[in-house]
Amino acid sequence: MMSDLIFIALSLFAIAGGVMMLVYKNPMYAALGLLVSILAVAGLFALLNATFLFMVQIIVYAGAIMTLILFLLMFLNIKEENLPKEPKKFMLIGIGAVIMIPFNVVILKAVSNLPNANMNIVEGTFGDIKPIGQLLYNDWILAFELVSILLLVALVGSIVLAKRKKMNKENS
Amino acid sequence: MISLTSYAFVSMILFSIGVIGVIARRNIFVIYMSIELMLNGVNLFLVTFARYHFNMDPQIVTIMVISIAAAEAAIFLSVIILLYRSKKSLDTDIFTTLTQGEKS
Repeated sequence: MMSDLIFIALSLFAIAGGVMMLVYKNPMYAALGLLVSILAVAGLFALLNATFLFMVQIIVYAGAIMTLILFLLMFLNIKEENLPKEPKKFMLIGIGAVIMIPFNVVILKAVSNLPNANMNIVEGTFGDIKPIGQLLYNDWILAFELVSILLLVALVGSIVLAKRKKMNKENS
Repeated sequence: MISLTSYAFVSMILFSIGVIGVIARRNIFVIYMSIELMLNGVNLFLVTFARYHFNMDPQIVTIMVISIAAAEAAIFLSVIILLYRSKKSLDTDIFTTLTQGEKS
């Protein structure tokens, strides 16, 4: 079936992007790997009928956050000698995998015991903008307002952090 | 046939890659990106269960997680700029001594 092939391709892209982020030494290549992974996850959202989240993932993650990271990487102009040396990287990756495998097995065992349901794409308004907006502004209005306050605090905080250097110079 | 378990498998793999990145890497940029990958894995899990139960509340939670990730990006990246300007390095081991630049 078509959606099976798309699912397999997208999950391979997601995992390959994650592994690319894990093993490359240069942070630029790691950021590009993360970008591939995020776009593949956006495709998986579309397969799961979450059309609004598909757009949000592409606009916010791939459009805003990854652009910010790539812009900063170019702005800082990181030289090869400024990168940290990671001689034990692959040993630590192995240790991390050994730690995470039992955790994964437990979660997958629990999930595979759930009754099977139809996960295909359905017609209708599930996951569209209008029902999500109605849910967001009726049932989740308090969380929405709290998140808006959080974003305001983050905005003020990043301005304060960026300005602190100048204030220190004036004081000293 | 794609089932619930295959989506759960992909999201758990993404989450595990994020955890392994936080454990194994010392570049602070890569650690930040690993945290983003962990958030992506959790988002995929939430959206999978939204489809499974045919209920849109987990998608709202996913929107909240994405906006928190955006706020985190602003703070984290400005902190990285400050650290890189004072230490000229991206190594997390150097950042363990958080004194002012000239004294260290």
